[in-house]
Amino acid sequence: MLTTNNKSNVIIEMQNVGIRYGQGPEILSDIRLSLRKGSFHFLTGRSGAGKTSLLSMMYLAQKPSRGSVSVFGQNVNFANRDSLALLRRKIGVVFQDFRLIDHLSAFDNVALPLRVCGMDEREVRKRVMELLQWVELDRSIQATPETLSGGEKQRVAIARAVINRPDLLLADEPTGNVDNDIAPKLMKLFVELNKLGTTVVIATHSEKLISDFAYPRLHLHNRGLRIFGPNDPTGMGVRHV
Amino acid sequence: MSKQPNFIARHEELPLKNNSTSLFLQIMVGIAVFLFAVTLSGVLAINTMLQNWNESILGSLTVQIMPSTDVNPEKAAAETIAHQNKALDVLRSLSFVEKADPLTDKQLEKLIQPWLGDGIAIDDLPVPRIIDVKLKRNVDIDFMDLAYKLAQATPMASVDNHKLWLNKLIQFADGIKILALSILALVIMITSGAIFYTTQTSLGLHKYTIEILHQMGAKDTYVAQQYAKRSAILAFQGGVVGLLIAIPTIFGIASLAHQIEGGIIGEAKLSSLDWLSIIGLPAFAAIIAMLTAYYTVKQTLQKLM
Ligand SMILES: Nc1ncnc2c1ncn2[C@@H]1O[C@H](COP(=O)(O)OP(=O)(O)OP(=O)(O)O)[C@@H](O)[C@H]1O
Ligand SMILES: [Mg+2]
Repeated sequence: MLTTNNKSNVIIEMQNVGIRYGQGPEILSDIRLSLRKGSFHFLTGRSGAGKTSLLSMMYLAQKPSRGSVSVFGQNVNFANRDSLALLRRKIGVVFQDFRLIDHLSAFDNVALPLRVCGMDEREVRKRVMELLQWVELDRSIQATPETLSGGEKQRVAIARAVINRPDLLLADEPTGNVDNDIAPKLMKLFVELNKLGTTVVIATHSEKLISDFAYPRLHLHNRGLRIFGPNDPTGMGVRHV
Repeated sequence: MSKQPNFIARHEELPLKNNSTSLFLQIMVGIAVFLFAVTLSGVLAINTMLQNWNESILGSLTVQIMPSTDVNPEKAAAETIAHQNKALDVLRSLSFVEKADPLTDKQLEKLIQPWLGDGIAIDDLPVPRIIDVKLKRNVDIDFMDLAYKLAQATPMASVDNHKLWLNKLIQFADGIKILALSILALVIMITSGAIFYTTQTSLGLHKYTIEILHQMGAKDTYVAQQYAKRSAILAFQGGVVGLLIAIPTIFGIASLAHQIEGGIIGEAKLSSLDWLSIIGLPAFAAIIAMLTAYYTVKQTLQKLM
């Protein structure tokens, strides 16, 4: 598959990637991965398997300890700082711990990616209000994260991740804290974005989510990565990517 | 959209305003501008004084050759002329001397005529001879060297000592000026050091927020500009206060100086241009603060990928 792919259709490419923290052992070793534009994957693995670590290389928060990572066709080891910044603008991230800014309102938190790009304030307002209504947070626009519940914070984090209509959406346990009735709605948001062309990777522990949505699964185990086909919990239909 | 409030207050992404380091920065810059203003006014005053002094010693100078006391008038006259020639040789050998000419008998007669009347034969009298020295413009004039070399050549020559004394004063004032200039350089270094430190502290304080901005695709300049702007404002505010304290201080020192020695120090006045540069100090401090903060942020953010 890799060889037949048009390069411009590959959003993320990893070759022989290893990652370690400090002088510790490698958390992930020899990762080979190629994510095509418009694909949708779940990312699984037991706690501590390295899901967040793998995602963080994709969202350009860290470089691999070895091997090469290319995002949108740019090798992160050779890209300069400003072009990395421009790449990050095309990536929406939902962090496992939300990472909202405490002194900013829900509105300002969601507006952040737009303002960072210098978008006109009227357009910012329009877009943010629309999205906050969609995630049912329009009553809390002025609230700061401290006063929001875990699920509400998560929705703010998701809204911030998608506000810029990213080409790549990386979500780390995005539905862990939300009620069962809003979780499908948020998943629907990701699915809709994916239909519009956004490449999506969602790290999750939720077997229900995986079985409800027929998407392939990236599974981390023993420092390595295996890829399972949709609805293939056994891993019998492993595909090589 | 009816639930939407009319006004949504936009908060600063980086709340640099209510930063604990703000007051420190203001006070630091305030003190720096105060010191800078007072020292600078000293430098500028010395400059004016030096200019005035230089003007007054510039251009020309006279060298006197004391007459020989030999009893034989002819021999005495010849000796005096010989001394005069030695002095002339020395003077003409100096790089800053344009020309040195002895006054002619006629000129001398004219000079002493008001005292001794007409019809005096210069050669018969033990009158001092005078050498008129024209000095080059725009070159350093070393009177000490001149006086020393003259004295070596002939004991009979003497230089106008007012100028000698002024020359010593000029050298002293020059020394003070260099000292003051190094103080100014030191003040600038300490100020940017303090701004570097406060910026780094503040960056540490806002590390979390900055990392998020960074992840959202903010370029380093996006953060650096906010710091630069904030530092410039704080430095300007601190600087204005420092300046407001400095101005009466400068006047106070000036009036004290006048009481001590009106004659010399009186020339140490500040021109309106001088005042302009003193009043411009808060803006100068703001520029330094801006640049320091900007590059500190740029450098610190390199740690992020
Ligand atoms: N910043 C770090 N410094 C040192 N070790 C780290 C760091 N981040 C992660 N690790 C280690 O790397 C390993 C993988 O962590 P990671 O967060 O990627 O796992 P995860 O799959 O996301 O786990 P979870 O499901 O609990 O979120 C863990 O053993 C963790 O202790
Ligand atoms: Mg994790």
